[in-house]
Amino acid sequence: MSLLKALRYFFREAGVNLLRGWKVSLLAVLTIAVSLFIGGAFLLVSDNLESSVERWRGEMRVVIYLKPETPEADLRRLAAEAARAPGVRSVEPVTAAAARKRFQEVFPSLSNLVAGWQEEPLPASLEIGLDPRTAGNAPGREAWLASWRTRPEVSLIDDDREWLGQLATAVAVVRTVGVALVAGLLGAAIFTIASVIRLTAYLHAEEIGIMRLVGATELYIRAPFYVEGLLQGVIGGLLASGALWAGYQLLHARGGGSLFSSVLALDFLGAQQVAFLILLGGAAGLFGAVVSLRREAL
Amino acid sequence: MIQFFHVSKKYPGGQAALDEVTFDIPRGQFVFLTGASGAGKTTLLRMIFREEVPTSGQILVNGRNVSAIPRSKIPYLRRTIGVVFQDFRLIARKTIFENVTYLPQVLGVDLQEQKKLAYQALRRVGLAHRLNAFPPELSGGEQQRVAIARALINDPDILIADEPTGNLDPDLSREILRLFLEVNLRGTTVILATHDRDTIQRVGRRVLTLDHGRLANDQELIGTDPPALDPLAAEAPQVPEELIPAPEPPPEETAG
Ligand SMILES: Nc1ncnc2c1ncn2[C@@H]1O[C@H](COP(=O)(O)OP(=O)(O)O)[C@@H](O)[C@H]1O
Ligand SMILES: [Mg+2]
Repeated sequence: MSLLKALRYFFREAGVNLLRGWKVSLLAVLTIAVSLFIGGAFLLVSDNLESSVERWRGEMRVVIYLKPETPEADLRRLAAEAARAPGVRSVEPVTAAAARKRFQEVFPSLSNLVAGWQEEPLPASLEIGLDPRTAGNAPGREAWLASWRTRPEVSLIDDDREWLGQLATAVAVVRTVGVALVAGLLGAAIFTIASVIRLTAYLHAEEIGIMRLVGATELYIRAPFYVEGLLQGVIGGLLASGALWAGYQLLHARGGGSLFSSVLALDFLGAQQVAFLILLGGAAGLFGAVVSLRREAL
Repeated sequence: MIQFFHVSKKYPGGQAALDEVTFDIPRGQFVFLTGASGAGKTTLLRMIFREEVPTSGQILVNGRNVSAIPRSKIPYLRRTIGVVFQDFRLIARKTIFENVTYLPQVLGVDLQEQKKLAYQALRRVGLAHRLNAFPPELSGGEQQRVAIARALINDPDILIADEPTGNLDPDLSREILRLFLEVNLRGTTVILATHDRDTIQRVGRRVLTLDHGRLANDQELIGTDPPALDPLAAEAPQVPEELIPAPEPPPEETAG
């Protein structure tokens, strides 16, 4: 028979079944939607965290703070020396006075905190920009930093790599937890869909018997149930995507400039990721249906 | 057409439902299958369309060994066999049209052709005007006629009926029986299970009698009251016999 006709029949039957048993269908759709929503939220956060890490990695710096009394001439000399090291993109010497000014500019309300001191309250420093390509671990970087630590002029080295490394680990942890959680939830959702489909098939047992009797093929009998599972999953995926989008918009409207909007959810998921969520829903639904009807006799 | 060779059937845990049953039904015959309740009539019929397989023995339907048909090919066997049950087995949520055209739909027949087939089949059972009704809106006799139309839609070689009049009062039973005789007149092999000895006595034809799973009797009966049930006598006594079995033409062509 023509494929198109068959597909139309399968979808019509599946649609009718979905509507007739809309309560249990809704249950199945919601379990899929909830698991995909949570999975999508994890994806959203970890993606944004990751791109933040990437961005920061590009701006990665090592700041070498000098001891308070270091003369400005030494600062310049050390800056010139640092600039010659491999993998160093830029060196900006910041004098103690410049550091104080910058602090006052960035935190105007706190400006009197650093005003009126006999000596400069903030130390001079060298802000060394690292080449992002080798930023993490250029050869000899550790030895190079160690040699700076032993200098008499140096009081402290602030190395971005440490916390960026920790952040990258955090991203990986978020990812892993997300994947594990979603796998568990999807498992539950598949189980729900399988139960719902089995229930539908059970309610149609008599009809299925008649179909067999008049000579319908197994595929023809089963396909509407497969399509029903598929539809439940796809609808769940669509719901999850919509809810994610709404939640994202809401948080953005509320929390402009907060940690959330600047780091955790700068960008929404890409079209491919949304499509992936929906396809994952469809696949889970189809799988549930296939599992529930795997026995030879329905 | 239908051949049983030493067919036995034992359900798990039970005693033999069929025991060494052997018979041969040629094409075009009308056969009553009778016997007390539990004698094995349903079991025998279900084997013909491979709803059940024999524990031992061979069954040939249309020359094919039914037990040897692979599972995936069973639907093709069933498309050549119409089946009617005592409890009608119509799908309540589908219209008469949809119930009757289920097989053409599976076969991908286009809607126009489906309508034509449904009209023809329902006309044969006198229900062409109820195309859009739902089964629960019909009386028992009408539902059984719809079930017969469904069984006839694909022009089956064999029509099997398992106590088709068991749920109907005597007048309706006669009408239904007349339908089966008509179907048989057009060349379809009919095998009809009933424990109504009275009907069998009146109609005659070949009678297979089961007793506790054994084929106790296989005889030709002459009916005591053929005119009452014979469609030739009842409906068109003046028409020469050889003109009768022509298939009914579609509605457009009947006017002239
Ligand atoms: N599915 C089944 N499982 C077990 N025993 C069955 C089954 N179907 C029928 N039987 C038994 O087989 C015997 C014949 O039954 P059946 O073929 O239904 O007889 P009939 O149709 O003549 O009343 C009976 O003893 C019945 O209890
Ligand atoms: Mg029976």
